[in-house]
Amino acid sequence: MQQHSNEINLEQHGAVTLFNIHGDLTSFSEPFLSEAYQNANTQGADKILLKIDKEAYINSGGIAALIQILAQSKRNNQNIGITGVSDHFKKIFSMVGITKFADIHETVENALEVMS
Amino acid sequence: MKDRTVEVSLANKLGYERVAMACTASFAQMMGFSPERIEDLKTVVAEAAINAMEHGNKGRPDARVTVSMSCQGDTINVTVMDEGDGIKHFPPKPDIEKIIDELESPVGFGLFLINQLADQVEFNQVTDGGHMVKMAIKMIS
Repeated sequence: MQQHSNEINLEQHGAVTLFNIHGDLTSFSEPFLSEAYQNANTQGADKILLKIDKEAYINSGGIAALIQILAQSKRNNQNIGITGVSDHFKKIFSMVGITKFADIHETVENALEVMS
Repeated sequence: MKDRTVEVSLANKLGYERVAMACTASFAQMMGFSPERIEDLKTVVAEAAINAMEHGNKGRPDARVTVSMSCQGDTINVTVMDEGDGIKHFPPKPDIEKIIDELESPVGFGLFLINQLADQVEFNQVTDGGHMVKMAIKMIS
């Protein structure tokens, strides 16, 4: 059954703050994403990489929660990337326009290389 | 087997849309749909079921959402029925630029994805109560 919580671990990789997001992305994810973002922002994050579980279920509520993070990062002039998403959700993210505001990377390593 | 219709009755609780997703995915696999098209179908069914739970049934715990699916040629027809009275005002297509700039709320993604991924979508009031969304998904989009 759908998880109603996320565990998000923050890791610093040079200039990039990696959000290890565990669990599904749904409307229930909004407070968890928001709290993690506020923590990173308080610590002066400049570049943010959102790593989503490959098998995560993502619905429209999760997309809305992600977009709220993109909105905050734009306001704070932060560079943001996303990794870990399946081909299906790459297509979905492109359809809704997320890829206009965040680059999608194949792997964490690739993302760190490009974003650093 | 003449009538290959499958019907699932869901509890009106967010999360139960995943039962319908799994069921339609199995159904589509049996019909020979590609993995990519099955993913599209799962998203369409999930979003229609979520809309039915949240907006149609308005979160009522005693209400049900009924998902039925049948196959006709190269097309799977899915209906998602709730106990509500239909969509009065369709949200506009979400404009991510305006949402990012906080000029619009981040809503309407579910209907947007249904319209993008399904080949045909119809919203119908049911005469003896309830509302139904009918969607057709072809094997090849």
